[in-house]
Amino acid sequence: MSWKIKALKKSPWVFHVNVGACNNCDIEIVNCLTPRYDVERFGIKLVGSPRHADALLVTGVGTMQAAIRLREVYRQTSKPCVVFLIGACPCGTGIFSQGYHVAGPVDKIIREVDPNAIIAYVPGCPPKPEAMISGIVKTLAAL
Amino acid sequence: MNQEELNNKLLEIKDKLIDIEQKANKRIFLPCEAENTYAVNKFLFEDVPLRFVIATGIDSDDYFEILYHYSNDETGCVVTVKAFIRDREKPAIESIAPFLPGAEWIEREIHDLLGIDFKNHPNLRRLILSDDWPEGVYPLRKETKK
Repeated sequence: MSWKIKALKKSPWVFHVNVGACNNCDIEIVNCLTPRYDVERFGIKLVGSPRHADALLVTGVGTMQAAIRLREVYRQTSKPCVVFLIGACPCGTGIFSQGYHVAGPVDKIIREVDPNAIIAYVPGCPPKPEAMISGIVKTLAAL
Repeated sequence: MNQEELNNKLLEIKDKLIDIEQKANKRIFLPCEAENTYAVNKFLFEDVPLRFVIATGIDSDDYFEILYHYSNDETGCVVTVKAFIRDREKPAIESIAPFLPGAEWIEREIHDLLGIDFKNHPNLRRLILSDDWPEGVYPLRKETKK
């Protein structure tokens, strides 16, 4: 295991990207940070810039306008990084699959930049905070 | 203004309307042709006066409809001006934004999605479609396929 992966697993700092979500998943992400779940005790910290982040939390279906920005954010994230797709929309576009403005699913958008990107899926509408924590734990264990 | 006063006020512009339809106790529709909508809207907003809520654009196969919703806050009565745009090739209607700035964005949105040209609109730029969206494709028109 490279020291970079080891450092990433020790304390994954996350950057939250909304690419066309309804805000429900975003509320649940904020819920993870409240005292009830308090993921900061595991070293999972929300940061303000993708350049500081080890992981991206992507919510939303991936609209045409946001897809360009998401690719740019992914390029700016320091590698190695993990992309967490939070919710049914980024995992497979969900109920918006026939929408006229949808460029997703998000894994397709990310793979256009980096075909070997590490992508983890947390489905649900919205996923429970427990599901997100479980997804992060499983992903980090698999690294 | 109570319901009776509103009904009497609406009779003043009856010649510009196709009909005055009272669908329910607190729901009035005012169908009219596109060329009369500016005068009708100006009358409702400035002379009655009612509060502008929102506008809706609909593609109804052989014509477009723009619905301007107004609310009489005292009684909760919603008055809807139903404008018919019969020309499908070059749909156009007079903008109400010059006297009603609150309608500026919804008209831009209807312009994006249905391609209706709002004449005399102060700033008819793209609002909600992405920057790389092709010109002349209107997603909410019936003929547009995904």
